Amino acid sequence: MDSVEYLDLLLKALLLAGVYAAMAVGMTVIYGVMKIVNLAHAGFLMMGAYFALELFQRFHVDPILGAIIALPVFFLFGMAVHWLLVRWLPKSDTPTLASLLLMFGFWLVLQNIAYLVWGNEDQSILTPLTLSSVQIGQISIPKVNLVVFAAAVFCMVVLQIVFHRSWFGRSMRALIQNPYAAQIVGVDDQKTARLTFGLGTAFAGFAGGLLGMLFSFSPDFGRPFLLRSFVIIVLGGLESVSGVALGAILLAILETFGINIALPVYWHGWSFHYLPPSYQQVIPFALLVVVLLILPKGLSSLFSRKWKAA
Amino acid sequence: MRGTLAFFGQTIRHTSILALALGGIVTLCNGTGRAVVADDTIKIGVVLPTTGSESKPGAYQKEGIELAIKQINDGGGIMVKSKGKKLKIEEVFYDDATDSKKSASLTERAMSSDGVVAVLGGYSTALGTAESVMADRYKTPWITTGAGATAIFGKGYQYAFGTLSPVALIGTTSAEFLGSLMDQGKLKKGLKVAMVVENTDHGTDYVNGFNEWADKHKGYFEVVMNEKFELGATDFSGILQKVKNSHADIFLSDAHLPDYITMHRQYLQNGLHHQMVSYGARGPEANARQALGAGTDYIFAGIWWSNKLPYPQAKKFAADYKAFTGHDVDSWYAAPAYDGMRIVAQAIEAAGSLDKNAIRDALKKAQLKESVLPGQVLKFAANGQAEYPFVITQNKPDNKVDIVYPKDAATGEPVAPAPAK
Repeated sequence: MDSVEYLDLLLKALLLAGVYAAMAVGMTVIYGVMKIVNLAHAGFLMMGAYFALELFQRFHVDPILGAIIALPVFFLFGMAVHWLLVRWLPKSDTPTLASLLLMFGFWLVLQNIAYLVWGNEDQSILTPLTLSSVQIGQISIPKVNLVVFAAAVFCMVVLQIVFHRSWFGRSMRALIQNPYAAQIVGVDDQKTARLTFGLGTAFAGFAGGLLGMLFSFSPDFGRPFLLRSFVIIVLGGLESVSGVALGAILLAILETFGINIALPVYWHGWSFHYLPPSYQQVIPFALLVVVLLILPKGLSSLFSRKWKAA
Repeated sequence: MRGTLAFFGQTIRHTSILALALGGIVTLCNGTGRAVVADDTIKIGVVLPTTGSESKPGAYQKEGIELAIKQINDGGGIMVKSKGKKLKIEEVFYDDATDSKKSASLTERAMSSDGVVAVLGGYSTALGTAESVMADRYKTPWITTGAGATAIFGKGYQYAFGTLSPVALIGTTSAEFLGSLMDQGKLKKGLKVAMVVENTDHGTDYVNGFNEWADKHKGYFEVVMNEKFELGATDFSGILQKVKNSHADIFLSDAHLPDYITMHRQYLQNGLHHQMVSYGARGPEANARQALGAGTDYIFAGIWWSNKLPYPQAKKFAADYKAFTGHDVDSWYAAPAYDGMRIVAQAIEAAGSLDKNAIRDALKKAQLKESVLPGQVLKFAANGQAEYPFVITQNKPDNKVDIVYPKDAATGEPVAPAPAK
């Protein structure tokens, strides 16, 4: 491979990281504050994609605008889900079986509602942007991936601002650091948890709308993203927004370069081998194991505390 | 407030218990109903994915089977000599949700508990492979209508049959088609081929079939890349970069529908172009064309059936299917399922009883004349798998599709090389 091909791969990895970050950030904020591994995240992503599709088909709303409209709608939806279901869960500093089962069950409910409403057909959103790309020399960059990347960066920046500049953000950080001390000093944990769940759901709906422009989707949509989201937030340190960005970049680079660069292997002497593309999906699993063994607090633990959003 | 919520919680609990009890009663009633009618019907198990990633093809296959059942039942049913009367078919359907473990256990359930005389189903090689082991275990004829990998039929099973021609033949026919274009001077000989196939027996068979033809016909192709990808992958940018770096002239993939759509979307977004592009048996599906628009033009596919086939019975099937389902038969999936049910019905009639061994023996000898599939006759080889020719279709602009190979079935001329956009 020449330098242009390396640059091409690097750009593709960064754009893929944008997709990964957009889909993982909502899961991170919910885990950070509430210690809930939100298995229904895949369902929220799927609903976000259908939401953008409905707006696009019925009212000819551009899917990017549809994803933006999904933010407030899914924020309210998330708060309603919290009020109806999540708030009854027993409080805990660690993820509980009850929360896993509840969110898994809710994901199945969302899936089946989607099957009832939209059927089992694969759906797609086709706009002039979908298949167009920007050509820079020999490098072709899909426009829609650029949009998703920009949206992911926007999400991160907004979250960082919310975390550091608002009362709500301070409440969230306090609950992440020490939920008992936070309540003693007057943080309303129920209200903050409700808003956080709404925020996490809003970002999931937003990401779903954007992912609907990249992939075809059915009610089963979101399942492959769930594992990656989980790997990313473990990489990022489970409670860190900047860690999510780092985790997404690392995973995307490893997945993209892993199958395109020959790796040195010692077997009766040194030789170089490519990782077969069929093993690409092994990378997130392997990464998860390695990070849990070596850096259980995630990548962000390598950096100073000021890097941490919470 | 707490009191209201406690009342709300209790009401939910009581309602749930009531619902479970009602569900149990309904299930029991169903079981009782089945037992009562068992002697007057022939039970056929159908295990297909109507949810999950293969739900679309699975639903088409289910429709094909149900159309055949309706037509047979409308004609009074199947004459069973040992009963001295015609019996109607009763379908016992299970959705495996595109889950191979579920697929195997539901097939087992149909064979062991539901009293079926045969099971149809197993769409996709992965699910079909999982189901196939049950046939000999329960000595029940099993006819896969959607798994064409040769591995299933190479294990010496005595009760397994398949209505799809071997997948390897798609690779062979694709190579033969491209070779014919080279012979006609539409493509140059010695073109570089990049192959990216799914990591299943289906993908392996496709590559083997292509290579078999290429090895026998030296000088036509130079295979410069041969890689596999996992089913249901979300990102193909890495592997497509490899395709780009291979500087191939022809891009051949073998993928299922969701992967075809995702991969080709990324193929187009990355600005790739090849003289000829194929995704194996996928190409003309309406979903893909809706998802990618003109981006799917000129893709060619080796398929088991096309609604363009000129046979009168194929045209009648297409019309009946539309009347039955309310939508066009726009892909190949329904036809092998339709004929699968018809050949089972013919075998039951020939067996003259509902004895599973007799039905199996009759299936081995069965020949479905006026089959809607290419070649017009459906029969099983010694290993249980059907073998009939494939047709090559090519997508044309404005959502048109033509059969372009073999020549005697062609409805249009192949466009080669595919024009750059």
